[in-house]
Amino acid sequence: MRIGTAEKLRRDLTVLVALTVVYLGVAWFVPNSYYQLILTLVPIWAAFGVSWNILSGYGGQLSFGQASFFGIGGYTVTLALVYWNLTPWLGIPLGVVMGGVAAVVIGTPTFRLRGHYFALAMLAYPLAILYFMQYFGFQEVSLPMHRDEPAAFLEFADPRYYTIVAVGLLFVSVLACIAVENSRFGLALLALRQNELAAEAAGIDTRTWKMRALIVSGMIAAGAGGLYACVQLVVTPDSVFGMLVSAQPVVMTLFGGVASLWGPVIGAAFLVPLSKLLDAYAGDYLRGIQGVVYGATVIAIILAAPDGLFWTFRDRFFRPKAPEPLPAAYPSARGFAAAHASPIALMKVEGLSKSFGGLRAVSNVSFTIGEGEILGIIGPNGAGKTTLFNLLNGVLPSDGGTATLGGEAMLGKKVHQICHMGVGRTFQVVRSFARLPLLDNVIVGAYGAGLSDQEAADAAIRALHRTGLAEQAGVPAGQLTNKQLRLMELARALAGQPRLLLLDETLAGLGREECDDVLNVLHRLREEGMTIGIIEHTMHAMMRIADRFLVLDHGAVLASGTPREVVEDRSVIEAYLGKKWLAKQDA
Amino acid sequence: MLEVSGISVSYGGLRALTDVSLSVSAGQFVTVVGPNGAGKSTLFKTISGVVRPTSGTITFMGRDLLSLSAAERAHLGIAHVPEGRQVFKTLTVLENLEMGAYPKAGRVEWTRSLDRIHTLFPILAERAKQMAGTLSGGEQQMVAIGRGMACAPKLLMLDEPSMGLAPAVTDTIFERISQIHSDGVTILLVEQRVAEALELSDHGYVLETGRIVLEGPYEILLADDRVRKSYLGLTDA
Amino acid sequence: MDLETLIESVLNALTAGITIGCIYGLMCIGLGLIFGIMKVVNFAQGELLMLGMFASFYLVTGGGVLAFLGPYIGPFVGAILAGPIVFVFGAMLHKFLISRVSGLRTAGSIDDGHFGQLIVTLGISLILQNGGMIVFGTIPVTVRTPLSSSAFLIGPVYGDATIFLNKAKLVACAVAIITALALYFVLEFTRVGKALRAAADNPTAATYMGIDVDKYYRMAFGLGSGITAIAGGLMATYLSFGSFIGFDYVIIMYSGVVLGGIGSIMGAFWGGMTVGLVQQMSALVLPPQLQNAAIFIVFLLIVMLRPQGLFGRSAERA
Repeated sequence: MRIGTAEKLRRDLTVLVALTVVYLGVAWFVPNSYYQLILTLVPIWAAFGVSWNILSGYGGQLSFGQASFFGIGGYTVTLALVYWNLTPWLGIPLGVVMGGVAAVVIGTPTFRLRGHYFALAMLAYPLAILYFMQYFGFQEVSLPMHRDEPAAFLEFADPRYYTIVAVGLLFVSVLACIAVENSRFGLALLALRQNELAAEAAGIDTRTWKMRALIVSGMIAAGAGGLYACVQLVVTPDSVFGMLVSAQPVVMTLFGGVASLWGPVIGAAFLVPLSKLLDAYAGDYLRGIQGVVYGATVIAIILAAPDGLFWTFRDRFFRPKAPEPLPAAYPSARGFAAAHASPIALMKVEGLSKSFGGLRAVSNVSFTIGEGEILGIIGPNGAGKTTLFNLLNGVLPSDGGTATLGGEAMLGKKVHQICHMGVGRTFQVVRSFARLPLLDNVIVGAYGAGLSDQEAADAAIRALHRTGLAEQAGVPAGQLTNKQLRLMELARALAGQPRLLLLDETLAGLGREECDDVLNVLHRLREEGMTIGIIEHTMHAMMRIADRFLVLDHGAVLASGTPREVVEDRSVIEAYLGKKWLAKQDA
Repeated sequence: MLEVSGISVSYGGLRALTDVSLSVSAGQFVTVVGPNGAGKSTLFKTISGVVRPTSGTITFMGRDLLSLSAAERAHLGIAHVPEGRQVFKTLTVLENLEMGAYPKAGRVEWTRSLDRIHTLFPILAERAKQMAGTLSGGEQQMVAIGRGMACAPKLLMLDEPSMGLAPAVTDTIFERISQIHSDGVTILLVEQRVAEALELSDHGYVLETGRIVLEGPYEILLADDRVRKSYLGLTDA
Repeated sequence: MDLETLIESVLNALTAGITIGCIYGLMCIGLGLIFGIMKVVNFAQGELLMLGMFASFYLVTGGGVLAFLGPYIGPFVGAILAGPIVFVFGAMLHKFLISRVSGLRTAGSIDDGHFGQLIVTLGISLILQNGGMIVFGTIPVTVRTPLSSSAFLIGPVYGDATIFLNKAKLVACAVAIITALALYFVLEFTRVGKALRAAADNPTAATYMGIDVDKYYRMAFGLGSGITAIAGGLMATYLSFGSFIGFDYVIIMYSGVVLGGIGSIMGAFWGGMTVGLVQQMSALVLPPQLQNAAIFIVFLLIVMLRPQGLFGRSAERA
């Protein structure tokens, strides 16, 4: 489990057990069989909602085709029962496995897509399957009844037993969600949802995590579908693959609170009874009124509470707790080399080039960064500095040239692989996970570098101490100041135990004193032997921190050398101020 | 004509502009220069209306601009040539220019404006039917400026027209801007390329980390070594 | 099957595909305006189609205003008039609901407001479907015209093979094409149309030009609703429909728009046409249940292999 989650874990488990007990208690005493059906359906739909939440809520991969897995679960159980006389007690687990398999089959081609295309493609799958099922003649398949030993076939005369099984399913699903939420799985998902690029840069293999999320999601959904079939005693393609089925978990989770543990449960608890009761009572007077009321409720809630009820209530009624004190930092396992700039080159770049269409963004750039040195990379706007970092960091493929880190080739690798090599990077625009505490924002970097849970925790704590943020460890990132956010980016990069730091405009937008604070942190890092490449515009700051400068203009190296040399260099002055300026000055 | 007074802008915790004041009189050519990150674009966007200031006032010909939305300001006779050109890539060159003439004032003078634009930038006449997204950077800049001219503006505002362009192309662009000024259009130019910009202008302001640190007629500024220091970070400001 | 019958079947399927395809094309243009320009995921587009059908129905039948135009012209004029009615409805929808979850207001949030759009439009869809059932009743209706039971005969073209051109569908197809052309004309040659395209291309720059982007988005939404409604009115002449009919056509619309290329409004027309063709041609070889599946398969293939569609500009590929 992640560091700092122990208390949340305890709390969530307690709530889960308590809710289960209360719910079962209530269910036990409700006599009416229609209400019993509602009580059974709520946890089933809630579990379905949990499955969607993992992929689309936490993971941010908006999918509108969850019914694929729900239907596969339903039909697996039904057909296994009809053709092999396989009891649903085994049929449902089989369905769960099929759901996982389907996830891999569906996910492999579809994850190449993003955004709208992904959502629409996911929408198409269940509908296509629906038509195929109709074609194959599985129009309406009833589950055969077993007069003797009904319980062995998950058939109960007393509807309360169905409720118990359904609650069991939900319990397991929520447990899975708790496990995901409190482990690096959950953090990886939240990170890639917020900013896939930054997550990749922090070393997270987004493709793999997305697939894992889909597999877990598919398995839970299939389980829900399987149980649904047992409860309804009949499956039709439309009832398990239809578009409304896909819509249910989306609506419920968004209603209840997306990317929260209890969101789907809250949503199901509200909306399922609402629709069923409307069906029963209003359906007779005005056929269709339940759809209208349901639709109107959903709209009203989304407009009033765009993230869902859970978040709106929590934000309004719960003050953020005082942040937990952070344990003291332990000395790092990976020691650093000499405290001052050494002539040994850590990173060597030769002839690096990149063009976009006809535009040469980076043109035959060569330079080295010595071990323990701070290299300042400067140049007028549009000089190609960030593009250079993007090439070194794996974000962009290069058109030519080589780059090595400690002798090992850097180019051609993916972002998270470069991160594993020991390169930490910050971006111009800080991306934080606003609702998560600072510590979690930082620990993402450690996970990305492949550290184990304990190592990651240590590395993150150390990074926070080094950047002076230890006291804010528990504060949600959305409440941090600009300077603290910049330091957070730095800490995140540090948590990955890098050999080389690439900092992109870390000082942008900071006032004079804040700038000094950050510079002090950088000084300390240098004293510990860290190698840093830093892009900056705030020149007076750069003068104080950089050992050497590299000046770029129009993608090519204009000059390099000590700060004094560079600043007096005519070609540099010309690049910044123009030929005419120099001419005037000379005149 | 344009009075900016005590403008401050913040994004979240970031102070982008602090107490900035400048004025542009009719017929003048005013330049705002400064190194990167100084806040030049923020200033431009605040005057255009895309960004709201936290304090200060902006008036144009006596009218309070802050009470108008960005789209409404364009109808007053202020033309914007934004940073990075921002041409309508899927519209033809001619259509881009027509969009510049969207406000009523622009439509009245349209034929004459189009003539002027074609005289200034003959290549736009040649490429009238070409999609703007397929043009080179310099040509797109011409489209953007032409678009600004299309509504026969009283004030033409340009945000870093030289950005991303090769020096030779930049020279041409500046030449044309100077011509536009000679034709009698008031110009507010925000630029990074100091010397060219200052040379063309009547009056200049130097912006550094959100504040005006220097202002005056161009000869004075050009001779002032503080400008160089400001760009190359040697000040103690 | 002998060659003659085969040719007859193919030719008839082809002509049916083209005529229906034109109507689908018009329907897709409506969604193209909304999804393509405003990037709003509108799940209620099918219901806008349905509203068009019912608007036309009430205009034409039961003592409606157009009863005096007669059964040959009436239904088609009704279809056209359904357009402005649903245009206003769509604009109101945008003003009160859609604008709160789209456009510049939500541009900065994590998912560009798409979650909200999905839910709100889904809610609208539910309200319209079920509300429609309450208001319009549950019995399927149609806008009857004698033209739907007569056809032009072309041929024989090969042996005995003749092509049957259903008159009603032919007229509907003609109206669809004329409407599409009219829209094209407006978008390409009028100031308003160009401003609409500009607002879609670059909302920030459009604002600089003095274009009120919010107002144009509202117009786009209204226009998209109205155009789809006209297509609905046309379809009403050969389909029988109830308030839930929109459901069947949503995926067709999205397929058409993606196939044509997101962002290309006229491309959506060709996308819709292609979907119509695929549907009718697949009837030659596939049983009815699989015809719709064929559309999905085609959709999935396009999205995987050529996400920018036929005419689209950018692709959000991984």
